[in-house]
Amino acid sequence: MITLEHVTKKYYTLTALDNVSLTIPKGEVLGLLGPNGAGKTTLMKLVAGVISPTKGKITCQDEPWPLIGYKPERLLYPNNLKVGQYLDLVAGVSDVPASERERVITENLARVNMLDAANMRIAHISKGMRQRLGLAQALMGDPPLLLLDEPSNGLDPEGQVEIGRYIRELNDLGKTIVLSSHHLHEVTQVCTYLVILNKGQIHYENSMSVALGLRPFIRIHVNRQLKEAADFLRSLHPDISIEGDTVFLKNNAMRLRRQILTLLLNMDFDILRVEQKRVTLSEIYAETVQ
Amino acid sequence: MIGRIWQLSRYYIRSLTLSLLGLVFIIGTFLFWAIFFPPGQGTPDAENYILIIAAFGAAMTFLVTLSIAARANRAENMPLVARLPSRVEYLTAVFTASLLFSLLLQFVVAALALIRGPEMALGKLLEAPPIWISLDLLVTIMALHASDLVASGWSRVVIYGTLAILLIGQSFIGRINDWLLSLMSNLSAFFYAQQFDSIAELIGHVTSWLSGTGESFFRSVLSIVFWPFQAIGQAIITGYFTPMEALAPSVLILYAAILYLIAADLFASKDLEMIE
Repeated sequence: MITLEHVTKKYYTLTALDNVSLTIPKGEVLGLLGPNGAGKTTLMKLVAGVISPTKGKITCQDEPWPLIGYKPERLLYPNNLKVGQYLDLVAGVSDVPASERERVITENLARVNMLDAANMRIAHISKGMRQRLGLAQALMGDPPLLLLDEPSNGLDPEGQVEIGRYIRELNDLGKTIVLSSHHLHEVTQVCTYLVILNKGQIHYENSMSVALGLRPFIRIHVNRQLKEAADFLRSLHPDISIEGDTVFLKNNAMRLRRQILTLLLNMDFDILRVEQKRVTLSEIYAETVQ
Repeated sequence: MIGRIWQLSRYYIRSLTLSLLGLVFIIGTFLFWAIFFPPGQGTPDAENYILIIAAFGAAMTFLVTLSIAARANRAENMPLVARLPSRVEYLTAVFTASLLFSLLLQFVVAALALIRGPEMALGKLLEAPPIWISLDLLVTIMALHASDLVASGWSRVVIYGTLAILLIGQSFIGRINDWLLSLMSNLSAFFYAQQFDSIAELIGHVTSWLSGTGESFFRSVLSIVFWPFQAIGQAIITGYFTPMEALAPSVLILYAAILYLIAADLFASKDLEMIE
């Protein structure tokens, strides 16, 4: 949908993004992960057109440039307006016909569960409502591309789950979504494509299903420390590792699971638990960022 | 496009009107009327009426534009900018809102001043709005260039610096000409002494031109930029526009158009670092 080609963004001497090339795939929920200062918000602002790249270019395969619903990280709104008035302004700017505005505003408020707040002043609504208002304004005009910068930041767990549910619903409607977040669980649940940024560069990029399906391993827990058997077990295959009372079988060593179990039983260990696991997003993130 | 611009313009007019600053502008308008055109004081003449209201309009337009541009430069508007197909629409909305709000205040003063004001023929009265509006258009753009919303890098310094040089240059043109004259004379003498006669003669021609028509030439070059203002002032004082003077408001609009193009280019290409 939108492609960034060798994009660099510098703020005076600080390089916020360094030679980043990325395609935002149509119909996907792209999760942007990275530590503070990695360049997530800069990337969002570049796609939103709020700032321009120092080098490189951003192009859109679908002409014309799509309408973009942008929810910035900071929850800043004109506090003197009521929720409904603000959404009416956004609807007007998004070319929603005057005759349909009331219906569209009501629909979007209902979608984010804020129907009762239409007549409340923005100054008086809670942080959770501000987050949801950010989503509601981003949805105005039915934009095909949504840029959501930390949409669940500062919300309680219930609110985070709710926001995640909205995002999945929107993706089901065919929206392309770029989501920046520090909540790994949320990204795992919601995103279909994963990009990890660090120090202005893309360090990891993959489809979420592939990323989480990679590198499965088997974990065998026994009833006592494996000290005396550790060297012998390690010598069977380089992908076998031992930690305390647990044997890890990775990659090709997983084929040896029956043999290892038999050996452990013969060595008078009791097998407490055998688990087949996959790598988690937090492990991918930790490895990438380190 | 027009719908989007109008929606944003209405929002900024409403936002300013309902703010404390908007109230100050409205009260200031009535105070201005009460001080300059008190109904009990008798009638101002037509020339003063047009000039004073033009000056009021220009000052009010500058302040209103700065206020609206500052509001438009708040980070809360970032989602709105991201939705627009072109940033120039946003700039046009700020421009329209500023111009409409200040024109409204100006016309309030103009209407109130007619209470026991000058007895003006309709033809004379119709001369005023083109003068006011053309001046306000130019001032709106100048104020946008002074605002953080549009200014980018050294643009503010370049535009206002050029204006200052043109203004100051007019006052010092005689001294500058004298300095150039003495420099050229010395250079000419130097080249004669070095026996570069052809160069010395060439410089001698420049020197004689400077001592003759040079000063008036420089003066007219510098003053051509400000000619529309002089022409309008002259026409108001004499009570009628010559065919040449009648072009002055159009020239002001031309200046405004050129400066608007520069503003649009600056605004479209700058990084929007809006105030949080």
